[in-house]
Amino acid sequence: MISISHLRKTFGDLVAVDDLSLTINKGEILGLLGPNGAGKTTIIRMLCALLESDGGEIQWESSATLSELVGFCPQENLYWPRLTCLEQLVFLGKMHGMSADSANNRAIELLKMLGLSGKSDVYASKLSGGMQRRLNIALALIHDPPVLILDEPEAGLDPQSRILVRDLIHSLAKQKTIIITTHNMDEAERLSDRVAIIDHGKLLQVGSVDSLKELLGSGDCLECRFETDLEFLLIEKSTEATQFIADVNHVLGQAPETTSVVQHQLIIRPFQHLEKLSNLTDLAKKHGLEIGDIQLRKTTLEDVFIHLTGRALRE
Amino acid sequence: MIWAIFTKSVKEQLRNFWILILTLSMAPFFVFVYFLINEASQPHYQVRMLNLDEGFHVLGEEINLGDDLLPELQTYIGSVDNIPLSLKSSESRVGAIKEIESHKAHVLVVIPPDFSQTILADSSTTPVIEIVGNLTSTGYLISAVWVGEMLNDFMAQQTGRGRLFVVQETALGLSDQVDEFELWMPGMLILSIIMLMFSATIAIIVEVDQGTILRLKLSGMKAGQFLVGVGASQVLVGIIAIFLTLGAAISLGFEMRGAFSSFLLITLLTSVSMIAFSLILAAATRSVTDVLVVGNFPLFLFMFFSGAAFPISTNTWFYIGDYGVSWQSFMSAAPAISALQKISIMGVGLEDVRGELLALTCMTAVYFVIGLWGFQRRHLRTN
Repeated sequence: MISISHLRKTFGDLVAVDDLSLTINKGEILGLLGPNGAGKTTIIRMLCALLESDGGEIQWESSATLSELVGFCPQENLYWPRLTCLEQLVFLGKMHGMSADSANNRAIELLKMLGLSGKSDVYASKLSGGMQRRLNIALALIHDPPVLILDEPEAGLDPQSRILVRDLIHSLAKQKTIIITTHNMDEAERLSDRVAIIDHGKLLQVGSVDSLKELLGSGDCLECRFETDLEFLLIEKSTEATQFIADVNHVLGQAPETTSVVQHQLIIRPFQHLEKLSNLTDLAKKHGLEIGDIQLRKTTLEDVFIHLTGRALRE
Repeated sequence: MIWAIFTKSVKEQLRNFWILILTLSMAPFFVFVYFLINEASQPHYQVRMLNLDEGFHVLGEEINLGDDLLPELQTYIGSVDNIPLSLKSSESRVGAIKEIESHKAHVLVVIPPDFSQTILADSSTTPVIEIVGNLTSTGYLISAVWVGEMLNDFMAQQTGRGRLFVVQETALGLSDQVDEFELWMPGMLILSIIMLMFSATIAIIVEVDQGTILRLKLSGMKAGQFLVGVGASQVLVGIIAIFLTLGAAISLGFEMRGAFSSFLLITLLTSVSMIAFSLILAAATRSVTDVLVVGNFPLFLFMFFSGAAFPISTNTWFYIGDYGVSWQSFMSAAPAISALQKISIMGVGLEDVRGELLALTCMTAVYFVIGLWGFQRRHLRTN
């Protein structure tokens, strides 16, 4: 178990991690989900002792050294371009204090596991981006660490490689604690046992994907796109929009705060009264709006994420 | 672990051989350049001789000393190493003067018609030998002096009068054994190590660039082990560079006089010193491009101001043993060159270069302290 309590890190005036407390359970896959600049990478760099925190502490439930405990796959592909795949795995194994023989055996095993057996004698610089990513994951695993930290593991991977990496992560989860950072909802949803949503250095929510979805209430999400180009459909807080939302809630029997208008689109979440959907058509006509399409879908992690972090673009 | 870093570093350098070739070839290349410059700059003077001697009859036999003079002097010039003259016969005065005017010759010696007669028949007079040339030319002056001396010798021999005095030369230092090319060689040998500045800095920066530092922090390896491993591979490059340069120099006539072990110790120490300096350079750069741009400044400083490329005289501040410390001593190459000059040219032992060794060691330590501090701040800090 890894226990993070009141972790804080600042860079000048920027608070990158703000009083963050989190427990990571042994054998689970935890997804750190957040927009760009949310502080995910800063958190894992502090976990790996690559960065000193300004406050708080990280406790590991083990007496082993950090280098023995953690295998880290950074966001950017790091490799020695003039070493072959096998050579770099063996070399890194030696850096971790492994004997030449055991490093060699482990390297061969990992190359096979990551579908790189045929590339063992090829320079890493000659591999495709996807292969380099897989090699980086193999490098993180060379010393068989109990904790694996993967920064954006599926970034730059083609669908086939993504499936391979995903299967690998799932198979490793039986023996290891895995922490992944991502801003890819699908990746987080598919991979993680629990997801921690982080923004502006703060932990907003943590829980299983299902429990996070429940934050938005039980029910599906209704999205209705209008063809009519009316200005109030673009300005969420305008008087007309507020009135329109109030009318929608009234005719559809929705609770306040469940409805919003964003970019010509009406979003109702959770949508609870399917039998009243026809009322929406009449209301649209009354407001002079023409409905383009209506979609009723399950609530996704992205809905939760947007609900918690907002729609504002990040720098 | 150090061995793993060492072998990896050697492997990568062999696979990225352009920087290695640059490092290894520069100094031997300079040795050949300096040899050619030395050869080209050796003064050599062209002397033309017009023999008008009509000879002299003695006991029914005609003797023409003028005819004997040219081969005699040519034989003499050929038998002595350091006479910078070439002597050729001229067919006409006009032709010889044209050669002087067109700088193909420096002096014309005209042997008079009564040369033999004056020497053999009339001991009370001396022959008048005309020497023609551009009196403002240094070449003329030196040639004329040499020709005059050789003619005097020839006359003394023919008349049996002997010289009025004999000149005995006393060489200062090893100036009778060592030519200018050999004097340059210690600097050239150290230059081959100065070139390590590039390969060592690049070897370190490449590791930063490739994430080895990140891997280092994540593994059980210590920064010291990493730097010793990379440094050891560079010492190997330094030794190869030294041997290549020494080989080039020996093939062109350089003769090393001191103990080889002393020579090796100085060059090894200098290699370590350059690797320490490379740490400073690595602390100031982030990429190979940075190294190739920023690295030129210290390279030129070490090349041209430490005495590696050519000697520079400086005011001595104080002495450590026999070694005069000056601003040049801030560049560890300077005491190294001084030590090598004494060892490889004058043939002295290590005890005679203690001052240089101390200065070299001190500067190496200073480089290490600054380099490690800078490298830690730039590439290893975690806050």
